[in-house]
Amino acid sequence: MSHGTLNKAREFFVDSRFQKMARRPGGMPREQALKNANENVDAFKPEFTAWLDDRLNELFDAIPNPEAVEFDKLEWIDAADIHSQQLADVAATMDYQFVSFVANNLCMIFEALKRGAEHNGTIITCHVDALRLARQQQYRGMRPEDLPELSDGLRRVLNSPSLQPKVDDNDRSRER
Amino acid sequence: MSNDNINLRGLTFLIADQNSYFSSICNSILRGFGATKVIEVHDANEAIKALTTYKIDLLLCDAKLPPTSGMHFTRSIRWDKECEFRTLPILIMTSDTRSTMIANARDCGANMVVVKPVSPSSLYDRLAWIAFNARMFVDSAKYFGPNRRFKIEGYPNGVGRRKGDNTADIGEVTGPALSQDDIDNLLKTARNG
Repeated sequence: MSHGTLNKAREFFVDSRFQKMARRPGGMPREQALKNANENVDAFKPEFTAWLDDRLNELFDAIPNPEAVEFDKLEWIDAADIHSQQLADVAATMDYQFVSFVANNLCMIFEALKRGAEHNGTIITCHVDALRLARQQQYRGMRPEDLPELSDGLRRVLNSPSLQPKVDDNDRSRER
Repeated sequence: MSNDNINLRGLTFLIADQNSYFSSICNSILRGFGATKVIEVHDANEAIKALTTYKIDLLLCDAKLPPTSGMHFTRSIRWDKECEFRTLPILIMTSDTRSTMIANARDCGANMVVVKPVSPSSLYDRLAWIAFNARMFVDSAKYFGPNRRFKIEGYPNGVGRRKGDNTADIGEVTGPALSQDDIDNLLKTARNG
């Protein structure tokens, strides 16, 4: 091992405390660890529908009516993005895979809006409607591939030209 | 991997994610694996306090950790030469699986990426991978962190190749293989359009 200079990379070995400790003998067998973890996750499930309803209501409240003047502004997007992110991150673990899928799509739409894409009320509304559907008990446990037409439709929306930025960064710098 | 059981007793984990419900689930998963100490924080400022207060052994960091991002926070840890936890194992958690996102996480010095929503098996396998697969650290003018060009000698369950993947059936040889000249001609034609 040699000490690096400005132009030369130095490589060195790290055996962290995590690695040393985690390799100790006497660890829990993998199958047992997963069984325990899944049981712990299952303990959250009875209260999850209440959490889901709260987050969905917060998300729906954060999105202005597409007819309203506020809809074309950027102020509401951060809050709506946070609520969608929370839903996307958690719902699938709690057996609401389709909620995670739609919420994740919404996050990508909000990201596109922040980059300058057109504020398209139809695109947002169809995702909000899909979330209302996905929240229902009969959709619990369904994955996007179990609802192919709906999922493909929502995926297609993500590629819609209206979600592409109006002017990209290179164009902006050229304009300056 | 000859032994994929990990022993998490006595280790301290830090979960940095603004979504407290997600953190609670993650916490419960780690405790199911046998972890005895898990700390939850919701932004980078709290994370720094926890890192300096407790002896953290592994950081699970959300890619969108406020106020900037998990990647920015990871980079700040890796680039601080005085930082005593500069080589801490860091897992970036993200629901964005685009290649640019994964490349960003790698380039900021994260040890590995965990895709959200997190399942117990995916988290367990990534922890096991870090524990059993030593990687050199690189210190260069533009990068500090685990070697990004590591070789995977057999995936642990759930990393890259999926547990349920079937092995491919390869048919019997039905004719002679292409000679080097044939290959060169094919490539030449392709290059010339």
